[in-house]
Amino acid sequence: MKKVSRVFTYLFLTVAGLIMFFPFFWMFLSAFKTSAEVTASPPVWVPSSFSLINFQLAFEKAPFLRYFFNSILVMVLSVGVTTLTSILAAFAFSRLRFPGRKTLFTLLLSMMMIPFEMLIITNYRTVIDLGIYDTVWALVLPFTSSIFYTYILKNFFDTVPESLYWSARIDGSSNWHYLWKVMVPMARSSLTTVILLNALASWNSFMWPMYVIITDSNRTLPWGLQVFTTEAGSNPEQQMAASTVVVLPMIILFLFARKYIVGGVARGGLKG
Amino acid sequence: MHVTLDHITKKFDDFTAVQDFSARLEDGELICLLGPSGCGKSTLLNMLSGIIPPSGGHIYFDEDDVTMMPPEKRGVGLVFQNYALYPHLTVLDNICFPLETQHVPKKERVEQAQEIAKLVHVDTLLKRRPGELSGGQQQRVAIARALIKNPRLLLLDEPLSNLDARLRLEMREEIRRIQQRTKVTSVFVTHDQEEALAISDRIILMKSGVVQQNDLPQRLYDSPANQFVANFLGNPPINNIPGVIRNGGFHAQGADSEIRLPLFEGLPEGRPVHLSIRAEAFSVEKDGPIEAQVERVYTMGKEEMACLRIGATEFRAYIDSEVGLTPGRNVQLNVRKRGVFVFDLESGEKLA
Amino acid sequence: MKKDSAEKDLLYRSKFEIIEPYLYLLPFFLGVAVFTLYPVINVVLMSFQEDYSMLTRSFSGWGIGNYVKTLNDPNFWQAIRNTLHYVLLVVPISLVLSLIIANLLNQKLKGSAVYQSIFFLPMVTSVTAVGLAWKFMFNNRGVINYLLGFLGMKAIPWLRSAQGGAYNMTALVVFGIWNILPFTIILLLSGLQNIDPQYRIAAKVDAATNLRIFFRITVPLLAPTIFLVCIVNTISCFKVFSELYPLFGGNPGSMGNLYTVVYYIRTSMMQYQDYGVASAAALILFLFIFVFTMAQTGIRKITERRKVS
Repeated sequence: MKKVSRVFTYLFLTVAGLIMFFPFFWMFLSAFKTSAEVTASPPVWVPSSFSLINFQLAFEKAPFLRYFFNSILVMVLSVGVTTLTSILAAFAFSRLRFPGRKTLFTLLLSMMMIPFEMLIITNYRTVIDLGIYDTVWALVLPFTSSIFYTYILKNFFDTVPESLYWSARIDGSSNWHYLWKVMVPMARSSLTTVILLNALASWNSFMWPMYVIITDSNRTLPWGLQVFTTEAGSNPEQQMAASTVVVLPMIILFLFARKYIVGGVARGGLKG
Repeated sequence: MHVTLDHITKKFDDFTAVQDFSARLEDGELICLLGPSGCGKSTLLNMLSGIIPPSGGHIYFDEDDVTMMPPEKRGVGLVFQNYALYPHLTVLDNICFPLETQHVPKKERVEQAQEIAKLVHVDTLLKRRPGELSGGQQQRVAIARALIKNPRLLLLDEPLSNLDARLRLEMREEIRRIQQRTKVTSVFVTHDQEEALAISDRIILMKSGVVQQNDLPQRLYDSPANQFVANFLGNPPINNIPGVIRNGGFHAQGADSEIRLPLFEGLPEGRPVHLSIRAEAFSVEKDGPIEAQVERVYTMGKEEMACLRIGATEFRAYIDSEVGLTPGRNVQLNVRKRGVFVFDLESGEKLA
Repeated sequence: MKKDSAEKDLLYRSKFEIIEPYLYLLPFFLGVAVFTLYPVINVVLMSFQEDYSMLTRSFSGWGIGNYVKTLNDPNFWQAIRNTLHYVLLVVPISLVLSLIIANLLNQKLKGSAVYQSIFFLPMVTSVTAVGLAWKFMFNNRGVINYLLGFLGMKAIPWLRSAQGGAYNMTALVVFGIWNILPFTIILLLSGLQNIDPQYRIAAKVDAATNLRIFFRITVPLLAPTIFLVCIVNTISCFKVFSELYPLFGGNPGSMGNLYTVVYYIRTSMMQYQDYGVASAAALILFLFIFVFTMAQTGIRKITERRKVS
């Protein structure tokens, strides 16, 4: 009886896993197929050769290298600045004292339920007014502070015993020194989670770039890819090659840092 | 350095944590702030370290008024109950931390740290992290960190409470040894009377924010200022026999007999009192002034712990086991002068 | 030391220490104020401004005209209907699947890291990129129709059906479930891991069957998490857009038949330049989210109280 249920468990999970993985499998394989293989019916499963020609063609037809660079730039800038502002704010909310601290934090938490879709209308206008419409800055500036990541960090900072703080203060440490010498090194794991979640969100961001970027050379990968597919002359195998380029870095990141990402998602969500 | 606390008061909203506290801590002295939890002893320590400011009064380090001085400028060392070591730093870096903020050059820092580590016997653990140390070792590191900057005042906030019984004994001797070596004026906060008696030069016993007695340990035990002090010190706790003084003699509640001791001379007539006697103050004597009934006897080796009864009150006494008490029998007892007191039943005021 | 005592004790602080917290908060608040706080207030205002023009930044007057217009727009109601349709399909189906998978994953398995990696992958990959793969697979001569052919089914025009939107919706729902599954499994799995295994051991000792344990012990103890998952997924499905976009080449369905609320906001804004209507629709979307969030916090408070007593 126990054995039967074990076998069923593995069987079910394996089948479900194959279905879950199939889109990736199909994407990766198709990226190497020839035009004829891709449109063949019944489908050809294994490409005749694993040449990188589709990647080359896609990169020739659209500036994917440029998209890639933009994506990296936007990610590094917005993740870097957001991490910094979140650390500072989380420390202030967790350890420093100022009137209205708790009220203010509750207010911020309640703002977490506001959907980004609701903010787009005004932010679109703000970006135009700031003169950064259709530039990479339009993708960075709105994402330089995050209530959610501040919240995660503050929760961690709260778990650090107050005695550590006073100990450091008595030993002559300023708040600033304490934050960077004690709090931040201790929060390494929470910080990793915050940085990874933020990096994922930035890399995969699609809707906002679609609103504010029109110049091809300023696009990031998901939005560039989308435009590439609707333009004439892009074949499915090239689309799959380009999609692979978008998807692969995050898959690799995930395989290395699954623990942090899953832990972070369990604590507060990613999509949604 | 000597420390003067001058009429210190601390209020949290309507709660008074410390009430009009005045004391002088002499140079090189180890002083215990003793009392039950919530008596204000930790609050007092935090005011000495500068973590919280007093609501009233003044604190002087030597002649300097430091009442409003922030913690980082006071030059005090503080050891917490939970050690408060930085978990991400090695023992060496933990000990060096106070010097780092003073921008002492690295080489000098390490030298001093090694020296102090030797003093507290953690010199073999310098490369480890706090998570890899036992509680006792962590506490030694915490003491080293507090000492490395040559503090003018060393504050220890219940430093032994997180240790198990055996380590606690060992560490309290260590603290005493280190303190006597460094001769730093120290304040040691604890709720454990035994610890306080064993370690300190002087004890300040507090209750509800008010000083009950500020005295040498032995004096605190031998001549408690009031009922609270008498009750707080001693194990087993002091025996309190309720009764009244009539015609110069003590009549225990529910007893027919009368106890006559020279101690009762001049006590007011008819006043309800506690006759308080330490368990070790009794001895069996044929013509002893106290008659009690033996209830139970527990053998403890050289001595016996006897549960006795006078009237309605049971009490405990250490009796030489050679006497051989029999439960159910009556026995005549005498008391030594040194462990007998009379307190007012209601106010706890000491009458004799 | 009493908690928060320091909050009232400002005696010690130098002038710098009093302003110090604000310096730490400043960069954070700059971003929040400009890109979150101000837009929230502005969107409310804009929804009451009639005939707003982006060019001149002017409007003809205050009123509820935008709401009247939105609520009288058949397209808006179509968007609501489609969105609800999508929510009602994706949320329950993904919940049931996730419950099974999470429950199976919540035991000592060989290669559990591999299983977890595979199940969680869709969470970290770009919806738009993977959406292209799905589009490709859903093609008339694509691999899905090919595989279904083994079951004796005729090729289905998943992405280009002229007759109603049932096939379009099915394709979208399948992709949507696949996409939301990792998140749902993770939440349920962490909920399962928080259940004291003693309950299950006790039940095993009482000779309960696995199925009985699942329904009588696991599910009731997991109820708060299940509820949380339902709410969070409902909210996220309500904002469906990024899944839709790549499947139909940027169109909401092959014939515009899968118009959703977020699409409605987008077209009102970008196509018709009607910022008032877009704001009104965004606020109506927020209202939905608000109600669901409140329901969630309300229920959570009740269950927490029950735990205490």
